[in-house]
Amino acid sequence: MQAWLAPKYLMWLWQGFGVTVWLAFTTALAATAAGFVLAIARNARLGAVRGAAAAYVVAFRNTPLLVQLFFWYFGAATLLPDSVMQWLNAPHAVQLAVFSVRWPSFEFVAGWVGLTCYSTAFIAEEFRAGLRGVPAAQHHAAAALGLTPLQAFRFVVLPQAVRISIPPLFGQYMNIVKNSSLTMAIGLAELSYASRQVETETFKTFAAFGIATVLYIGAVAVIEATAHTVTHARARSFARR
Amino acid sequence: MDWSVVTGNLPYLLVGAFPDGPLGGAALTLVLAVVSALASAAIGVAGGIALAMSRGVVRIVLLAVIGFFRAIPVLMLIFWTYFLLPVLFHIDVPALAAVVCALSLIGGAYLAHSVHAGIVAVGEGQWQAGLSVGLTRMQALRDVLLPQAFRIMAPSFVNQWVSLIKDTSLAYIVGVGELSFVATQINNRLMIYPAQIFLFVGFVYLVLCTALDRTATYWLTRHASAARPRVSVTTQPVPGE
Repeated sequence: MQAWLAPKYLMWLWQGFGVTVWLAFTTALAATAAGFVLAIARNARLGAVRGAAAAYVVAFRNTPLLVQLFFWYFGAATLLPDSVMQWLNAPHAVQLAVFSVRWPSFEFVAGWVGLTCYSTAFIAEEFRAGLRGVPAAQHHAAAALGLTPLQAFRFVVLPQAVRISIPPLFGQYMNIVKNSSLTMAIGLAELSYASRQVETETFKTFAAFGIATVLYIGAVAVIEATAHTVTHARARSFARR
Repeated sequence: MDWSVVTGNLPYLLVGAFPDGPLGGAALTLVLAVVSALASAAIGVAGGIALAMSRGVVRIVLLAVIGFFRAIPVLMLIFWTYFLLPVLFHIDVPALAAVVCALSLIGGAYLAHSVHAGIVAVGEGQWQAGLSVGLTRMQALRDVLLPQAFRIMAPSFVNQWVSLIKDTSLAYIVGVGELSFVATQINNRLMIYPAQIFLFVGFVYLVLCTALDRTATYWLTRHASAARPRVSVTTQPVPGE
């Protein structure tokens, strides 16, 4: 139907995919850590902490990611002091052994912050569901054995809660990959942005979007396979005991 | 904070250029959400029933199609419908139709699994009971299974519709004048107070989403508590499952 894409454009798509993977990966790490803290905060003894955590979840879950990204990209620039903005916009490099790690562009930072804040709210809910899925009898049993509340949480409740939350957690990681496509709206050159750009330059609509779609499906399939492996490995290790 | 930018542009944010021009802003967001919600519910119910009734190759094809729509970002599907359909079929696809099409397909794919899960959760016993009183499979599905299944899957529909409201913001990408688009228009024109604009827009989405969520939850719990004494949906765990 249409001739294949020139290597230059394939390179664009591949680099875009690299940005998507890197953004999704760093977001997943940060959002998992922050989501875990938020889930604990939702069960805090202090009412104010519980309320603040619940408000965070409602606010970030019920507003579109696109609007949040616009807020971080356009709004943060006016709210932050000028010196900080200048530092963020200027290139920086960190020398790590043989690798030179470049400080990412402001688009990447804004996209990362927006995506992380958004995903944190969802991941916190998955952790909370996991914590609630552990029967109350487990708390009582741990207390009866003489464990302190902290020990009971660390050694009895947490391992079971994590096991419950792992499958939905991987579902959230897939959502992060898919949601990362929205950062094209703030000009981050990730996969969707690259496919759009290739399409505009070459008019090979089918090839440009086809490759991007296959790459997205590939990324989601890899996460699905990882989830499958992790849950089955755990199931086997529990069966052996 | 100076909120005059919001109050000054309030009519434009809420209804766009209406009544002098086309409907836009939050009103168009609502229209988009309602149309896509209805379409996605229809696709979801049809898909879920098809999943429950089909066997063999048909079922595998169906699962693959649904899997495809669940694996790709909404943005990618909007690209497909908006840029590719005109190239393939030489028809002019209005941006609004492309977005409704993409949102309903993706929402429908997610709902198909919820509907299927709802039908499965009602239990094999209900199927057999329906068939043994002489109903055909279709009649059993319509008169016995679905009325019970709808109660089980109602929360999934509400969740899906809430995320649908948020996803209407993606219409921004193809230039549909809904709330996010008019917000960026105002932001690009003024280039001051972006934080206020996007905070307000986020707040409008927050109100829409929480209103839907709360009303639906209230309505469902009231109905569920009223219905529970009459209908008991207890599914016996099947040995070996």
